[in-house]
Amino acid sequence: MSRPLRILVVLPLYGGSLPVGRSCQRALASLGHVVETFEAPEFYGAFSALKGLRVTTERLDYLEHAFLQVVAQAILSKAETFQPDLVLAMAQAPLTKQVLKRLRQAGIPSVMWFVEDFRLFTYWEAYAAHYDAFAVIQKEPLLSKLAESGQPNGLYLPLAADPEFHKPLELSPVEKRQFGAELAFLGAGYPNRRVAFKELMRFGLKIWGSDWEGDEILAPLVQRGGARISSEESVKIFNSTAVNLNLHSSVSAKELVSGGDFVNPRTFELAMCGAFQLVDRRQLLPEMFGPDELATFGSMEELLEKIQHFLAAPQERAEYAQRARARALTGHTYQARMRTLITFLEERLEGWPRPRQDEDAMALLPEEYREEAAKLLTGLGLTPDAAFSDLVWALRARAGKLTPVETAILFLDEWRKQYGVKQE
Amino acid sequence: MKPVLVVQLARFGDLVQTKRLVLGLTRAGREVHLLVDASLMSLAGVLYPDAVVHTVNAHSAPDPTRLLESLSELAAAGFGRVYNLNFAGLSMAVSNLFDPDTVRGYCLEAGQPMRDPWAAMAMRWTKNRRLGAVNLADFWAGFSLPMADASAVNPDAAPRGGGLGVAMAGRHARRSLPPEVLAPVVQAMLPLAGDARVTLFGTASERPAARELMSRLPARLLDRVVDLTGRTGWRELADTVAGLDRLLTPDTGIMHLAAHFGVPVSAVFLSSAWCHETGPYGRGHTVWQAVQECSPCLESAPCPCGSACLDVFRQREFLRLAGGKGQGEPPAGLVGYRTDFDALGVVCEPFAGAVPREQTEQAEQAERSRVRAFVARHLGIEAGSAAPPAPDLAERLVEEPDFMLEKHQALLEII
Repeated sequence: MSRPLRILVVLPLYGGSLPVGRSCQRALASLGHVVETFEAPEFYGAFSALKGLRVTTERLDYLEHAFLQVVAQAILSKAETFQPDLVLAMAQAPLTKQVLKRLRQAGIPSVMWFVEDFRLFTYWEAYAAHYDAFAVIQKEPLLSKLAESGQPNGLYLPLAADPEFHKPLELSPVEKRQFGAELAFLGAGYPNRRVAFKELMRFGLKIWGSDWEGDEILAPLVQRGGARISSEESVKIFNSTAVNLNLHSSVSAKELVSGGDFVNPRTFELAMCGAFQLVDRRQLLPEMFGPDELATFGSMEELLEKIQHFLAAPQERAEYAQRARARALTGHTYQARMRTLITFLEERLEGWPRPRQDEDAMALLPEEYREEAAKLLTGLGLTPDAAFSDLVWALRARAGKLTPVETAILFLDEWRKQYGVKQE
Repeated sequence: MKPVLVVQLARFGDLVQTKRLVLGLTRAGREVHLLVDASLMSLAGVLYPDAVVHTVNAHSAPDPTRLLESLSELAAAGFGRVYNLNFAGLSMAVSNLFDPDTVRGYCLEAGQPMRDPWAAMAMRWTKNRRLGAVNLADFWAGFSLPMADASAVNPDAAPRGGGLGVAMAGRHARRSLPPEVLAPVVQAMLPLAGDARVTLFGTASERPAARELMSRLPARLLDRVVDLTGRTGWRELADTVAGLDRLLTPDTGIMHLAAHFGVPVSAVFLSSAWCHETGPYGRGHTVWQAVQECSPCLESAPCPCGSACLDVFRQREFLRLAGGKGQGEPPAGLVGYRTDFDALGVVCEPFAGAVPREQTEQAEQAERSRVRAFVARHLGIEAGSAAPPAPDLAERLVEEPDFMLEKHQALLEII
């Protein structure tokens, strides 16, 4: 990597790619980049308000489009002010085609990390070519289809986990009782899971998560009445369950174990927590985890057999979990994914990132500031060679009172702007 | 599992065209309830013998006491999902009985009319009806995925031995053949129905047209003609239609009823009728579609073309083909289609002798196939993905609020 970058992360208003976006934001900052985040969820209230207007569907349709234009303009304004080297948009991010075109005109590259099954959405066909690169969690035929749709920079970028968040936890006895189980599943009630889990009733399966309503047989197994489980609680569930079941979702109940291609985030999160999981075999799994790192199944018969086996083999479970965590730490962090993405962009986008004229903050600051400034850079997550403008941006984003040195740096920045010369 | 309700308060034909949705729900193990207009109750019983049928008076003045009883029944049924299929005030009002989260299609949410992205997409493809190519039955089925196998909805078309049926008219006069045009077509088609009996169908208001038709048929045929216009209830109508060798009809409810029984249909589509949208559901039916520059038009707008689309049905070339004689070309402005299935559902394919001759017709046919492939993959049908990506269609049919804002997505729906 040539230098720390300025990256604008655009979150979606809702949905599963939202936590992934936040993980990207943390990972990029931890790599020394200056990260600004567009908090689209903060606009969600306005969308809800539109739905309460009691107007015709045509007017509501018009207003929703207009609302999204405003949100997209807000992203554009932020980009124009922040002048990022890159805009990283998560799947379903409210970046309209119009604004993507404006970003391109302004020379600001954009990339979407489309952390979705491409078969469940079709909008990518229209949007992919408007980004400078398009990262996906599936390989073929998607990468070829991206090229056909006018996007030559398709990148396979599987999901990952955040070791700062998904980690082994020591739980209190109360928490263990609350969240623990011999066998548990956390996720939504997709058709294949609903059918499959009826065969697991005798193991005392606990089901966590939403969208399980309407199934009287499974209802007694569903915890908290199917309430949504927070990310923090999910880590506790993973850590206190002997056998975490991980069955990838399918909209079809015909094949319970679908053998699909992409690997879900839960696979990486469980591994990173050092929790034992039984996961269904996926086409792209073998290149991410070895057979001694994850216990897998390919059919319901095999699942039943392995549940019985692993419930009675705590030592074997612990060994699997340990190896899975080691592998996740070395290869499947969001930091690793962000490094891959940036390397890919450096290879594919000509002249990217553009050289900046900024001077190093440390070189620019007066001698008497430097000791404290060095600490400040570390505290802000910036590298020692961070540009002066990045330091100023990070300081401006700070809430509350600043120290005298911090305030002095902002003062010097304003002075430079006003007089256009270096402070000696 | 909780039962589901399908609200279908439209007409006869619409009720028949709800079959694929109901079949999909039944195959998913759901107990299906239907809410229909009171006049269609016995027909609903014929079409959906396993469903629980509820009624309200949607097409005649409601009896307030009976209305309250019906709505109370519905409110107490504890439906897990409600499919409200029509963007109409009456069914939107009914949707207020249920938690908005359980309603799919169209609903009122705290007084705000809402529609699913799937319904919004259909509105977009119907903006250009000429290139839109999704049958209404498949559109409605798309509210609950995965859809039932299209070929399981109705039996394949096969003669049943009861002669030729003739539906006198649809609800829209301009979409039907007047008696003087219809009479030669009936004569031409008799050999296709074994030269046996001819049964005329329609409401009482179509009896004058039936009489005029008979007056235009040769006297030697009249002893074979049975005029049932205005003389049948739903059950007799169903029994009679079920036994036909073939039905000659414009776009009518009787056409859909014949398809329900697998009775071969020869349909004439003109004016605002467009077979790619409301053609007979099943394999092996025939549709003669008038294709003019202005097709399909708007029924409510006056015709500036002197009903040119009607003239093609007077042509000798058409009569020869309609009677199954020869393999010649149909007259200009007419395309013969045969119904079949593709991955999405029912599809009208031009058949031998009526292959689109004009470059524009071929281009339109190709575009309809492209739209169908896109819609198929939008519904998660694997075969749709065999076609290349279509950025222009994705742009036209999927709008930003559909996915940037949190809305019901049929494919992510969990029944």
